[in-house]
Amino acid sequence: MRWAMGMLAGPTLWAVLFVVVYALHGIGCAWGWPSVSFGPTSLHIAAMMGAWVAGLVLHLVLLWQMPKGHDREGRLQRAGAWIGLVASGVTLLPIVVTSSCG
Amino acid sequence: MNDQTQSVNPPQRALTLHRELTAVWSDLPGWRGVLASVNHGTIGLRFMATACVFFAIGGVLSMLIRAQLATPRGAFLDTAVYNQIFTMHGSIMMFLFAIPMLEGLALWLLPKILGARDMAFPRLSALGYWCYLFGGTIILLSLLGGVAPDGGWFMYTPLSDKTHTPGINADVWLLGITFVEISAVAAAVEITVTILRCRSADMPLTRMPLMGWYMLGTSVMMLVGFPPLILGSILLELERAFDWPFFDVTRGGDPLLWQHLFWLFGHPEVYIIFLPAAGALSTIIPVLSRTTILGYGTIVAAVLGLVFLSFGLWVHHMFTVGIPHMALAFFSAASALVAVPTAVQVFAWIGTIWKGRPELKLPMLYVLGFFLTFVMGGLTGVMLAIVPFNWQAHDTAFVTAHLHYVLIGGFVFPMLAALTYWMPLICGRARVPRVGEAAFWLILIGFHGTFFIMHLTGLLGMPRRIDVYPDNPEWIIPNLVSSIFSMVMAMGFALFAFDIVMQVIFGAHSRRNPWRAPTLDWAMSLPAPAYNFASLPGPGLDHADAAVALARGTGWLPGAPRGWRETLVVNAGSGRPEHVAVLPDNTMLPIATAAVIGSFFMLMLAGLYWLTPLALVAIVLTLWRWGAVMGADTDHAPILVAKGQSLPVHWQVRGTLAYGGAVATLVADSSLYACLLFGVGFLSVVAPAWPAPESGLSGLWSAMLIGVALVALTLGALFARRAEARRGSAIAQTQTRLGVVSGVIALVALVSIALLLDDPTRHARDALRGVLLGFAVVHMGIATLLAARSHADARDGRISAQRRGAVPVWRLWQDFALATTAISGLLVAAQEVL
Repeated sequence: MRWAMGMLAGPTLWAVLFVVVYALHGIGCAWGWPSVSFGPTSLHIAAMMGAWVAGLVLHLVLLWQMPKGHDREGRLQRAGAWIGLVASGVTLLPIVVTSSCG
Repeated sequence: MNDQTQSVNPPQRALTLHRELTAVWSDLPGWRGVLASVNHGTIGLRFMATACVFFAIGGVLSMLIRAQLATPRGAFLDTAVYNQIFTMHGSIMMFLFAIPMLEGLALWLLPKILGARDMAFPRLSALGYWCYLFGGTIILLSLLGGVAPDGGWFMYTPLSDKTHTPGINADVWLLGITFVEISAVAAAVEITVTILRCRSADMPLTRMPLMGWYMLGTSVMMLVGFPPLILGSILLELERAFDWPFFDVTRGGDPLLWQHLFWLFGHPEVYIIFLPAAGALSTIIPVLSRTTILGYGTIVAAVLGLVFLSFGLWVHHMFTVGIPHMALAFFSAASALVAVPTAVQVFAWIGTIWKGRPELKLPMLYVLGFFLTFVMGGLTGVMLAIVPFNWQAHDTAFVTAHLHYVLIGGFVFPMLAALTYWMPLICGRARVPRVGEAAFWLILIGFHGTFFIMHLTGLLGMPRRIDVYPDNPEWIIPNLVSSIFSMVMAMGFALFAFDIVMQVIFGAHSRRNPWRAPTLDWAMSLPAPAYNFASLPGPGLDHADAAVALARGTGWLPGAPRGWRETLVVNAGSGRPEHVAVLPDNTMLPIATAAVIGSFFMLMLAGLYWLTPLALVAIVLTLWRWGAVMGADTDHAPILVAKGQSLPVHWQVRGTLAYGGAVATLVADSSLYACLLFGVGFLSVVAPAWPAPESGLSGLWSAMLIGVALVALTLGALFARRAEARRGSAIAQTQTRLGVVSGVIALVALVSIALLLDDPTRHARDALRGVLLGFAVVHMGIATLLAARSHADARDGRISAQRRGAVPVWRLWQDFALATTAISGLLVAAQEVL
């Protein structure tokens, strides 16, 4: 059943990342992070961006670690890793395109 | 393929095996059979039949709605009754038709298509059915009594709080639906374990029929997705009954918490309903296209994507409540993305039809009806996922049209296909020609006539749930058209029901495997016998053509020579046979348990809270009885399942079905606890009336008591481990006794903390602490009961070097209770410090 765990790893990482970023978003809005500067951006965007980029790197590592075989178990594991990566990339993209607490 | 060459047992006389198995697996005769059956075939059919009855009732209510809206000043129903009617229509269709229907299909079909004799927990199937029937009946009776829920099927606060709904209408919904949810969670546990462990010999997970994958996705989603609603219902009922202010903004609550909890359930629910229907489509389409499914692995990956992504969409039901743009955009992106795995499946089905030779039999007509309807519903779903459009169309008839396209297109049409496809297996008879086709066209034309124009009605601005529209003449014609076609659709459903009855009564006897399907569900005589297979399928005997060979006992575990209900339990991944499970016989325990659980809900509904402890004691006593008839006090020699291969019986292994069921239950429990933590976090951060007032819980006493509870819980976990490790010696009994003692100490400490809590009606933080403590007490109580059960097992000789009794399950619960209590304690400590 290790292959099943491998298949679930990517989507699970997306779920964790989505929850973490959504929580950071809520906490940041409540605690006034958008008005706190952090380099070229605000603490709010920086915190979410940091989590997002770290998550994407983990996704890529996961994809790299997936077995290369052509059996069904291997293909399902790679599919799971891709699903997680694409989901994290698309669903959290708004971090860089919209205002945070408006 | 030569079946004989794949035989693992010598052939026997099929009739002899049939008689032997029928005697063991059949229901009892007469009324006792009705009340005591635990067979998956009987229970599954009951679920589906009862769901169809509720569908008819929900359909009649929808006809009343359409009659009212046919004219702008409809005097057919007054506003109060109309509110009850539309609330009941939605609630019945969601909770009393769709979910039970999919549960019924799963219970009835899964053992057949996976090659088993029954579900993993037959008594749980029966308990689920009785809870569903009793809960549904309570809700239905409230309609007759004029006190039905009237706050909409999603029961938003503050409309549903005590101030705005002072009667018992909302309580009926909260308690009745929670009662029914027990059935859903029970089914989810059962389906999960059955798919993972009760397949045919050597059927790996990656080769099981797609229906198994779809149902596995569904059941896992139910385990994770239903607890938020159960928690929400508990919180709202606590607010209504005891004034604990979870949703009251003046005291630290927030109505949005209800919306989050409801839609955390509500959106995955759409996919929970869709996935089994998609499983039926993936089974039926290749058979009726005379080919194999296109892209098995791709479809499994799409199911995986749907299962996860569907939990990231819930806020798209809340786009207009004032959430910041960025959060809206997260959920908008996820809502658009989820269309991709859905489309992958649709293209796989179209490709399958394209590469095959489709036969336009009746189930295929419904499949085509599904394509037409569901794709349109999916496209309007993508429109609604886009925030600016959603703001325009929110709460209008456009949304009503969209959700009916998705739910009727994505569930009802596939279920009608499934019913017509599997009816020969259910009743053993062929269809009476042509009536079904007429019903199909009436339903299809009636549906699109009703709901297509409703998009326009919505875009013209008509809100949902209004009963009159005297000042909007532009809505008159589209509403009248919808009402006329809705009657056409109703005639279609009536004709469908008539066709089914005709088939059962007058249909000619069907030949075996009338669709020439390859799957195991057709590798049996018609109608399906109570035991499914005289011998169980395995390599070379895992297709419909093996029916005769299996009936002659050449497969695994032939007959019932010991007079037990036996089925194979396999490795979850590889399908390698691991042991033989002896399943329970007919029993009245499930109906008795459902009755005492029902009495608890009825007492709550009647406001007789002081009597509810009696009902809780009755529930505990009944559940104790479930454990008392499990296990064995002697070892049994391994059972010869195939030539040269013997397997142990379940009470002599650790990885039993029951252990798997406990793990699945804790998955659901973890989801509920996580939602509770979310509630604490959400209110702390978002609700306006925070920070909370000074707390009286910061003293030394409370710290000491939580310390005592955690130490006792840790010792209990240690005793459970030692009881299992020393199970062959007399020390085990000492450990189980110590486990009970430590459990009682932990319980006393936790209950004592309740005396130090601040008044939970003062502020939402105090109320949430009350719930966290209640969670800890309930779980500690269950862990202590399991310790007591383990002690009884040790005392009565059910534990030996080979037999573990209830100890592994006790250990699991003890660890869970310890972990959650520790987290709750840390959370409260952090609140005090920060």
